[in-house]
Amino acid sequence: MIDSGEIEILLVEDNPTDLELALRVFKKHRIANRIEVARDGVEALDFLFGEGAHASRGTVVIPKVILLDLKLPKVGGIEVLRRIKGDPRTRAIPIVVLTSSREEKDLLESYQLGVNSYIVKPVDFDQFSECLRDIGMYWLLSNTPPKIHAPQ
Amino acid sequence: MRSEAKLKGLLKEVIDLKAALDEHAIVAITDPQGKITYVNDKFCAISKYSREELLGQDHRLINSGFHPAEFIRDLWTTIAGGKVWHGEIMNRAKDGSFYWVDTTIVPFLNEQGKPRQYVAIRADITERKRAEEAVARLAAIVESSDDAIIGKDLQGIVTSWNAGAEKEFGYTASEMIGHSITRLIPPERRDEEIKTLDQIRCGESVGHFETVRVGKDGKALDVSVAISAIRDRSGKIVGASKVVRDMTEKRRAEEALRQLNANLEQRVVERTIQLEAANKDLESFSYSVSHDLRAPLRAISGFSRIVREDHSAALDADGVRYLGLVEKSALQMGQLIDDLLTFSRTGRQALTVQTVNTAELVSACLTDLQEMREHRHVTITVGALPDCEADASLLRQVWLNLLANALKYTRKRDQAVITIGSQREGDTDSYFVQDNGAGFEMKYADKLFGVFQRLHLSDDYEGTGVGLALVQRIVQRHGGRVWAEANLNLGATFHFTLTGGRDD
Repeated sequence: MIDSGEIEILLVEDNPTDLELALRVFKKHRIANRIEVARDGVEALDFLFGEGAHASRGTVVIPKVILLDLKLPKVGGIEVLRRIKGDPRTRAIPIVVLTSSREEKDLLESYQLGVNSYIVKPVDFDQFSECLRDIGMYWLLSNTPPKIHAPQ
Repeated sequence: MRSEAKLKGLLKEVIDLKAALDEHAIVAITDPQGKITYVNDKFCAISKYSREELLGQDHRLINSGFHPAEFIRDLWTTIAGGKVWHGEIMNRAKDGSFYWVDTTIVPFLNEQGKPRQYVAIRADITERKRAEEAVARLAAIVESSDDAIIGKDLQGIVTSWNAGAEKEFGYTASEMIGHSITRLIPPERRDEEIKTLDQIRCGESVGHFETVRVGKDGKALDVSVAISAIRDRSGKIVGASKVVRDMTEKRRAEEALRQLNANLEQRVVERTIQLEAANKDLESFSYSVSHDLRAPLRAISGFSRIVREDHSAALDADGVRYLGLVEKSALQMGQLIDDLLTFSRTGRQALTVQTVNTAELVSACLTDLQEMREHRHVTITVGALPDCEADASLLRQVWLNLLANALKYTRKRDQAVITIGSQREGDTDSYFVQDNGAGFEMKYADKLFGVFQRLHLSDDYEGTGVGLALVQRIVQRHGGRVWAEANLNLGATFHFTLTGGRDD
């Protein structure tokens, strides 16, 4: 049984200030109530696939969107992306890379792995909050996600 | 009567003998003082003087100056002493030409035993002397050659051996002449000699071939040999001349050169690896910069904003303003980081060179910069802009930066005037952008293209100081150069080329 609709956003972010700023934006604009935060790649994957600390749940979680930072401790963002897009159970989950990196290499690799969107976090807070608000509005309200029936 | 008849007969004989002598030889007679009293036709012919010019003169008239004083003195001592002198003399004819005569001078004595007159009989040997000189010259050439020049007969017996051969092989001429040339040939190459002698017998010459010979000290020598046939007067082949050049030194030099090249290549490989490593370091460095430095800046600007928005009641006016400055500074630093990354990326990015329509490119850039011209009086004149070979996107960056600068620094002018054009010097086009803006003092010109170097306050003209550094880097990567001329408050002209600047 797939746990769908429970979690709206999986926010994978290791930087505490970026995390706090992001959460504040979502809260202020009342975009999502159910946000799960993962602080590194391992946490993100364990949460999604029901492994490690989440092994007792034993199910795959399908959030409406995953906001993924690239530079993460333990398992990096690119690897997380590869695992999610490489698994038939999670492949359809929209993933937005949200990173400070403007590197050509990261951009190319992310798109090749099937990322749905790639956003460079603006330094300017106004732009940053606008950007996060737009992402939330688009993926949670405008976008129609697929109905996922993944085998256990 | 009988004696008179006898005398007549004798006289006739003398006259005949003299006639025969005149036919064969150059004859002159002088008195004891050396004054010429008689010359025959042959004397006149060879000296090119007439008889009248010669009679009464002495032989100094035809002195060539070639012979040393002792030679002349010896001649006179001999004949004045009543003895016959014999020798070869070089004389000078009336027209200045020289001739050689084989000379016999016979003194005829009076009753007191003193010379009464001298009779000189000469034969023209000029041709023989010339031939001897030519042979001597050839011999000198052979002798002075660094190459070994060796003559041998058809049995391979050495007939001549020059100084070069002595130096090369260590044997003297006397050690070699009369001995077989095989002495110089290593046993395993003896066939070579048999073959070349056969070829020479057939009249073929053997062009340069490289082989090995052995010197007196037993050391092997790398040599290059050329052999050609020697013919006698009748054209019969009687032997061969060999020119042998020692290649050992050349070989050594070639080997040294090869070594040097190999070392150089090895070093290039090593340097390339180092360079690649350095580039990798730089890449990971800029990756970190790009990622890690932005995050705290976002926090600084974000939380300053949040404090101002949500907690301004707890602050006085200055506090709010300071937080605004904190936020602004963070944004500025963000811009600096972005520019620096662009700059560093431009240095590493590979060039894609193609023909670029410069006029179109400049016109597109001016369109992009339209915003900077709004609500201003700007006169832009665009001259001839020849096409160029460049990376289009990087070149666009060059023009954008230079044109944006021209617009920026003329901002305070009521009438901004910007001129764009090109000049041709030799086969190099240089492009320029001229403005009547703020300019700068030429003494600071060397700082112009440095990263983060600025000649104006950011209060007056905003900017991070990366634009011109970027221009220079792009231009240099194309092999060109960029330079500027300016006057403070009168304007600046920036020139650049895309070729011909690699030596700078």
